[in-house]
Amino acid sequence: MLKIWRNRTLRGTLIQGLVLLGTVALFASFVLTARENLVSQGIATGFGFLERSTGWPINFSLIEVSDRSPYSRMLLAGFLNTIYVGLLGLAAATLTGLVVGMMRISSNLVLNILGTIFVETFRNVPLILQVIFWYALLTHLPPPRGAIDLAGVGFLSNRGLMLPAPALSAMDLAILALGLLGVLFSARRMGGTRSGLTWVLGLGALAALFTVLLLTGRAPDMPLVSIPELRGLRFVGGLTVKPEFAALLIAIMMFGGAYVAEIVRGGFLSVDRGRLEAAKALGLSSWQIMRFVHIPLAIRAMLPALTNQYIWLMKATTLGVAIGYPDYFMVVSTSINQSGQTIELLLLLMGGFLAINYVIGGIMNTINARLAIKGRS
Amino acid sequence: MIHKTLSALGAAAIALTLSTPATAAEGGPTIDMIKERGSLLCTGHNGSYLGFAEVDDDGAWSGFDIEMCKALATAILGSPDALQIIPVSWAQRFPALQSGDIDVIIKVTGWTMSRDTELGLQYSRPYFIGPTNIMTRADLGVSTPEDLEGGVFCINAGTSIERIVADYMGARDISYEALNFEKPEELRAALYAGRCDALAGFGPFLAATRFNAPNPDDFVILDAVLALEPEGIVAREGDDSFIDVINWMMSALLMAEEAGITMDNVDEIRANPPSSSIERLLGVSPGVGERLGLSDDWAYNMIKAVGNYGEIYERTVGDDSVYKLPRGANRLWKNGGLLYPLVLD
Repeated sequence: MLKIWRNRTLRGTLIQGLVLLGTVALFASFVLTARENLVSQGIATGFGFLERSTGWPINFSLIEVSDRSPYSRMLLAGFLNTIYVGLLGLAAATLTGLVVGMMRISSNLVLNILGTIFVETFRNVPLILQVIFWYALLTHLPPPRGAIDLAGVGFLSNRGLMLPAPALSAMDLAILALGLLGVLFSARRMGGTRSGLTWVLGLGALAALFTVLLLTGRAPDMPLVSIPELRGLRFVGGLTVKPEFAALLIAIMMFGGAYVAEIVRGGFLSVDRGRLEAAKALGLSSWQIMRFVHIPLAIRAMLPALTNQYIWLMKATTLGVAIGYPDYFMVVSTSINQSGQTIELLLLLMGGFLAINYVIGGIMNTINARLAIKGRS
Repeated sequence: MIHKTLSALGAAAIALTLSTPATAAEGGPTIDMIKERGSLLCTGHNGSYLGFAEVDDDGAWSGFDIEMCKALATAILGSPDALQIIPVSWAQRFPALQSGDIDVIIKVTGWTMSRDTELGLQYSRPYFIGPTNIMTRADLGVSTPEDLEGGVFCINAGTSIERIVADYMGARDISYEALNFEKPEELRAALYAGRCDALAGFGPFLAATRFNAPNPDDFVILDAVLALEPEGIVAREGDDSFIDVINWMMSALLMAEEAGITMDNVDEIRANPPSSSIERLLGVSPGVGERLGLSDDWAYNMIKAVGNYGEIYERTVGDDSVYKLPRGANRLWKNGGLLYPLVLD
């Protein structure tokens, strides 16, 4: 017995095993206690409620939902809403951050000052205040009947921004997406010098095919572009950017952008001056130095900090609940109120965000590993 | 503890019922307690619940529920001042009743099956019919929910209103967009800014929201009722004679309105009663008090002090108040409402 204890590897494994066992036992006892208490209070447990219809609708969804949809579908709609505003927010924040970050390191004094003001303003005001500020601004636009007319095809009102949209059915979009994938795939397979030609030919063929389909496959009087039109209390047709969505997106873009700008600035400043001078000494132009030396080195320094920032921003989408954007958090919280299945829904909420952020972290780590200078850890 | 008190009370009530003749002129244990104490302990609110239980800077209470408390105090003790308002929150009201901190709950309390059967409570007949209404912007020129086709509804997230609106609009095939907010503050801000065309909710809440608007005239409450919740006066289970008093108090207030007896003309009518039932109601001929264990002029005192049902309504939440809540289902039956007096023989 003592001998086993003296063996370092064995001892390590034993301790780890015991800790693991203890943790599992602890969590199991939590679950069992909770379950027992719920049962004794006559509260139903389990995930059976996911099949029941909700009885309440939400006003924004990427998939078809109504008050007759089951909880599972409503939760999926909320989950997609979170991913939707989150991904667009990340992209917008990254672009904003890139521009502002470059302004911050620019030698142009005006740009420099503008960049500094942007960062200091949007980084130092709490995100929730920014969300409510943008929302108040957007909802104080004129009502639909007095909407600001944008050249007769678009309208801006406190119901959002209404824009003309191509009148494509889901089938049309699917054909388009499949076609593009096909072209991409064949271009990659052809590879080499002929890929350019394949691209042009492939896209041309797809465009021709799609046009024919579009013109023949629909009712003759159906317009190709749907233009928003005021009917009663609302605009019908076209595409609507709702104020709740827009306010959340703008807030994430500005707030996230300010942080990303600082990460970008830090990344660029972290590149050793000696390397840039060495590149210059080799006779590279300033664009070439930027493209082949400065940016690649700066990105390596930025990635770990960016990963954190992205994950943080993704979680910040939950602030949508304050302004009525039906994100995953809001749908879960309403479901808790309506169904009373608190523990199950909180588990789903945590699981959902864990999944989203795990994927983001995974992608960023993969990029990081690919970009890492070979031979370094 | 509560359970024991309850069973003791229940036992006392049963014993009382068994030991007294059917034409009992005795009050139950609650009424005896109130008479002994010389005041009625009735519910207020923790803060102000606009229109129903409001407290001013001097600690004086007013509102529809408070007037009902005054009516009950006058019926039992002869004076609206023989009343103590105990501030309790929504959640506290049932435990407070069971522990004897209050005698009665008059606090827009919906008559639900679980409360009626599982909490040891006894409900009176409804004293207020709580409607779910729609409030809309006046400049839209909307008069029915159908006119709101395609409009945006602001709704408190996670409440039963979400479902009520979905059912109502779904059944009539009216399309709408539900914009749900977690907090009433944000809900109001969105409505005032015009983000939504309509606000759906409990009628009195809508009336208070309109009153607090930057310009109350910008909003109108539609007559349409999406759903009803009957609100009852709640007493401890087992004290039937107390519930009798409450039901007949309610009935007397309605009978007075039906007969056009008001706070101002009650003396005149008492001096010259138009019918025998009014003679009985106002205690000109005996019987109305004795059978409840009260004085024969209890209804007269009550009407003199607080007026009839319609007067109380208009004064606190209706047209004579700042809230201008339409009477709707709370009108008398003959005016198209749901309220009616019982038969006073």
